[in-house]
Amino acid sequence: MNVELTGLTRKFGRTQAVAGVTLEAGPGVFGLLGPNGAGKTSLLRMMATVLPPTSGTLRLLGRDPGGYGPRREIRRRLGYLPQTLGYYPGFTVYDFVEYFALLKDMPPGQVPRAVATAIEQVGLGDKARVKLRTLSGGMLRRAGIAQAIVNRPELLLLDEPTAGLDPEQRVAFRALLREFGQRATVVVSTHLVEDVAAACSEVSLMDSGRLVFHGTPGELIARGEGHGVGDAPLERGYSAVLAAARS
Amino acid sequence: MTGGDDLTGGYRGAGPVPGDVDLDRVWLGVAAQVWRRQPGPAERAATRLLRSPGLARALVTTPSLLLGWVIATVVILLTGVGVTLGTGTPWVALLAPGVAAAGIAYAYGPGIDPAWELSQSMAVSDRMVLLVRALAVFGLNAALGLAASAASGAAAAVTFGWLVPMTAVCALALAAATVTRSPNVGVAAGSAGWVIAILAGQAAEGRFTAAITDSLFVLPYLAFAAGCAAVVLFATRIPRGTP
Amino acid sequence: MDDDALIAAVARRDDTALRELFSRHAPWLAARLRGVLPAAEVEDVLQETFLAVWRGAGGYRPQGSAGGWLWGIARRQAALWLRRRGPAELLLPALLAADGRHPGDPAEAALSRAELARALSALGPEDSPARETWRLMYVEDKSVAEVAALMGVPAGTVKSRAHRARRLMRAALRHREPVQEGGGR
Repeated sequence: MNVELTGLTRKFGRTQAVAGVTLEAGPGVFGLLGPNGAGKTSLLRMMATVLPPTSGTLRLLGRDPGGYGPRREIRRRLGYLPQTLGYYPGFTVYDFVEYFALLKDMPPGQVPRAVATAIEQVGLGDKARVKLRTLSGGMLRRAGIAQAIVNRPELLLLDEPTAGLDPEQRVAFRALLREFGQRATVVVSTHLVEDVAAACSEVSLMDSGRLVFHGTPGELIARGEGHGVGDAPLERGYSAVLAAARS
Repeated sequence: MTGGDDLTGGYRGAGPVPGDVDLDRVWLGVAAQVWRRQPGPAERAATRLLRSPGLARALVTTPSLLLGWVIATVVILLTGVGVTLGTGTPWVALLAPGVAAAGIAYAYGPGIDPAWELSQSMAVSDRMVLLVRALAVFGLNAALGLAASAASGAAAAVTFGWLVPMTAVCALALAAATVTRSPNVGVAAGSAGWVIAILAGQAAEGRFTAAITDSLFVLPYLAFAAGCAAVVLFATRIPRGTP
Repeated sequence: MDDDALIAAVARRDDTALRELFSRHAPWLAARLRGVLPAAEVEDVLQETFLAVWRGAGGYRPQGSAGGWLWGIARRQAALWLRRRGPAELLLPALLAADGRHPGDPAEAALSRAELARALSALGPEDSPARETWRLMYVEDKSVAEVAALMGVPAGTVKSRAHRARRLMRAALRHREPVQEGGGR
């Protein structure tokens, strides 16, 4: 088990962003669906050790991120792509990915090859030495994905990774997810249902800080049978579950 | 396969890629060597000193240690030297803490670092980066200031006297920047604090330089600096999320 | 962009031109190298070849013979590799035949069959796994996967046996004094 959450909550002032989430995940690709404000980003931030939980327990890669040493060990094996990622304009794609490879304590001897691999895996091989300020939004997002995967993480957390990517790039990206999901736990937070259908072996649906569904995409589709709202089976399942949770 | 010199026609017919040769792997080996970045001497020295390549790289990419910033600092201090030589008032000693505070505020933080949230998830902790950068900026400004002060012929008490208030002012700037997550607020707080100190000294003892030279202030300055440092530690200990 | 323009771009440190050159030419270079080298070594030599291209593109004089220039570099890298690995591997004559030139280089001169037979006995009796691996990989020039299938062992075992066989051959051959300096075939 790479991720073990028990009754995890997070409060900001009086707002309950995450209201008691219990979840376990081993290797595989896990989709995290939900409307805006459902708490997906806060949950991902807690798993990325960027935000401490208000209550509940969290174990990542078999360690407790509360302590400095274990947290550092987790972070060496972690890949994280936040929802909004700025970039250093004067850096090239290579500089950018290498910077975070070094900050993840990768041994310097391994860094050039790892960075080259990550850059080619996201399809930016012909932009490796191009300055970030000249890149489009989709390319910047891919550079962000590259820094997340550069250290071949055991826990890969991606918050809205396909924003700005065209359909062909999204297909390539899902193939990348499946490859990583063979060894690592990949959690993809998205509001695009079709991203989930193609790549994820399990799906969680969050609403108002709670986990209202956890199962396979097939099971989510089954929940949508007979439900009116939605153009595709998975979308119908999504709205059916939300409607039930809110009634 | 044909031999000799004429290969232009023949080579395309050499056959398909052999199944057991992984060309992608070969390219990655080539790309790793072609694309790699060689660290400069400053970065190599920092790596040995800090025993962390990541921390060294973070240090040499500090915004306020970049060449443009350093040049601006030197220009300001040289102006101070010129004015001091002209008027006799130790402007260098009055300017240096303010300039240093600005440098510190622009060393690290959410207002400056576009990849702030990502930096907080790194194995090399953002607190270490902050500490190392702040010390480096402080050290550089102290060295430049001392040189400028000596060049302007100021008395020894003044030349070294401003190091203590500079520490306090920098700590204030850093605390303000860290707590409000804005380097501009840090600069404003540091500058304002320093101006207030100068004016208060002037009001109390009739000299602008009282804030620098009066040894009565040393302990209060240091205590204040320690307090601000505690604030910085606290603000960076609990990573605060934004909903 | 034609090849001459690409190589000129590489000389100007344009890495995307090198990438394009690689995608155009690596396949046939790999095929040709595979004819003279075992599979595992083709990748290393090809990597060294393109690094040499990156470093030496400035020396190319455009005459429309980019392919010949590239093969020349690949051949030199293969010869360097062979020289480093020791005399045992030099017995692959195909490298010399690939462009019909006589090497003239003592390092590439082949040892006599008798020397080889004596060195081979260092690997063990005729039917031992080491001898069999050597024969399949370096005389019959089969790939690692084919040898693994034929011998019924995992690929990793084949590779380590080949490595051991090379080591033993090298040691055995080094006990002999270098025989023919300047001798050709």
